[in-house]
Amino acid sequence: MEDEASVPDEKEEFVLFEEEINRIQEAIDSVAKGEFSHIALVGEPFAGQHLIMGRIRDKNPDVASYIPFFNVIKGKEAITSTYGTKEIVLMDRCHFLALRKIGGFAMLDAFLDMISMSGKMFITTWNSFTWSYLRAVKGIDKFFPVVIEVPKLDSKTLMEAVLSHYEGDIKFIDDTEQPEEQPLVTTKSVPLNLPFGYRLNVPWPWVNLNRRPPEHHGETQSDIEKVVFDKITRIAKGNYGVGLRIWERSLDYPKIRLSKIPDTPCSLDLTINEAFLLYIVLSMESISFTDLAEIAGPEIDIEQTLYRLNSHGLVEQEKGYYRVNPETLNCVIAYLKRIRMVW
Amino acid sequence: MVLTTLNETEGVIAELPFREFDSGMVLDILYIIVLAYVLVKVLSFAFRKIGDMAGSHRITATMLIPLLKIVIYASAIYFIIAAVLQPSLSQLVAFSGLFGAALGFGLKDIFADIIGGIVIAFERPYRIGDKISVLGTYGEVQDIGLRATRIVTPDDSLVSIPNYTIFKEATASGNAGKTEMMVVIDLFIDAESDAVAAMDILRDAAVTSKYVYISPGCPFTILLEDFPFYKRIRARAYVNDHRNEFEFHSEVTRRAWIALQREGIRPPRFPAHIPDMSRD
Repeated sequence: MEDEASVPDEKEEFVLFEEEINRIQEAIDSVAKGEFSHIALVGEPFAGQHLIMGRIRDKNPDVASYIPFFNVIKGKEAITSTYGTKEIVLMDRCHFLALRKIGGFAMLDAFLDMISMSGKMFITTWNSFTWSYLRAVKGIDKFFPVVIEVPKLDSKTLMEAVLSHYEGDIKFIDDTEQPEEQPLVTTKSVPLNLPFGYRLNVPWPWVNLNRRPPEHHGETQSDIEKVVFDKITRIAKGNYGVGLRIWERSLDYPKIRLSKIPDTPCSLDLTINEAFLLYIVLSMESISFTDLAEIAGPEIDIEQTLYRLNSHGLVEQEKGYYRVNPETLNCVIAYLKRIRMVW
Repeated sequence: MVLTTLNETEGVIAELPFREFDSGMVLDILYIIVLAYVLVKVLSFAFRKIGDMAGSHRITATMLIPLLKIVIYASAIYFIIAAVLQPSLSQLVAFSGLFGAALGFGLKDIFADIIGGIVIAFERPYRIGDKISVLGTYGEVQDIGLRATRIVTPDDSLVSIPNYTIFKEATASGNAGKTEMMVVIDLFIDAESDAVAAMDILRDAAVTSKYVYISPGCPFTILLEDFPFYKRIRARAYVNDHRNEFEFHSEVTRRAWIALQREGIRPPRFPAHIPDMSRD
């Protein structure tokens, strides 16, 4: 996936996140009247916060300095000497300011000192998991009176956003069988250990909590189009970047088949070190091996752990940077929430 | 008087409509016992599985297990009595009185444990999965049975404590039905060392741990206390799952000491000689 902030598609950017962009633009316009509040734009990885930031940057080239971070910030000069004389500073990927390690908050403290003393308006983007962590640990939300969360997209908006990338018609093909309704209660055979080493397989009722009503696909192209995007939105849980990735992987231009959209079940069982490394990758969005090793410390064998995460399909590497595989993002989030590594 | 009462009792027992003792009845009783046993095992297993899947709500699911056991075993006893006696209501009441008296005289300790188990099941001073401390024993509650509560200690010993003993003693539950639990971590440093720097390091070590859980209801605190020959830095923070209590403690201590030593902060040293205050 390319850098969201540099996506050049005017039509897509116009459609997406219009309300959030207008809200930030109004705040920028009010700086001229001497009113400003620092803004935090918070979203899950791939949710679209960098797309919004790119749009704001393009709309305000004369009044705003744009500072994107791509690596962990190691020197205070990186945050104090680069924003120039413009009244508004756009700081992208501020989650690189804090490291989850002893002494890892020095840059964040310097940054918070700076925005407290500076007379400039700071518009920042944050990974939502780093934001939640820093809110609990450092009370970071007190420095940002305006917090804008990147919204989840509904099926219709995702469809408009995705199709705006294409000039020609896409042919939607429903090649799946109409599913029968799944029963609410089924039985499973469970081994039961009895005294004296006996073992008994006992059928016990299993409530199918993930049961979904059968999707009646309809006949027309628009019906199938809706079913395709309903499915993508459900798997992506409304995350724009994840939805786009699923679409791209499923598309055989100019055709997309319903059966090609992957809907793999989520089942993870990781060690605490694997889960922690996965958490770091998730909360940093895209991180180099060196930075990962610095945060994880000597007690985690990075190469081996990354290999296992990669072989589970949870993490992928691109140009030396590691990130969570977008298709497994929601599975990863659910797992880390369940073991309470993200809050 | 005593003779009269015994005669009356014998009369009541004689009037009870005992069924003829045959292989069918034995099979019925065996069937009820096995069914109750299997049902308790299956339901306990199911609720534990559901608890494991529920993540942070694990203990909410398992707390139903003791109640289920009581209901199932009480029902089994009723069905066995009904199978042997086929009593009328008045006979059942009379028999229950006799049964209670027999329990009171002969099996009063077991009966007290069972009553203790019922009270624990309903009052819930602790639940299955809780970390409790009772009579000097600390560990995770593995099972609340009708007679005893079983606790697994940190060194993996299974300790059975009679319910009545727990019922009448003070019991401390570290997590009170929640998954997270406060852990207190103490570090002792030399009196001459920089205590503020040590507090910063311990704070960072606690809040950056992979086991920590922080929320408005679960805050962390760092405290300093001065003693004559050393200073104590205390971290109070919540572990995300109380099963990770000792790993959390160990990880924070280990990482903090590496950082403390890097900063030249040392552990306390024994004084070369302690001044004799009695001469003053």
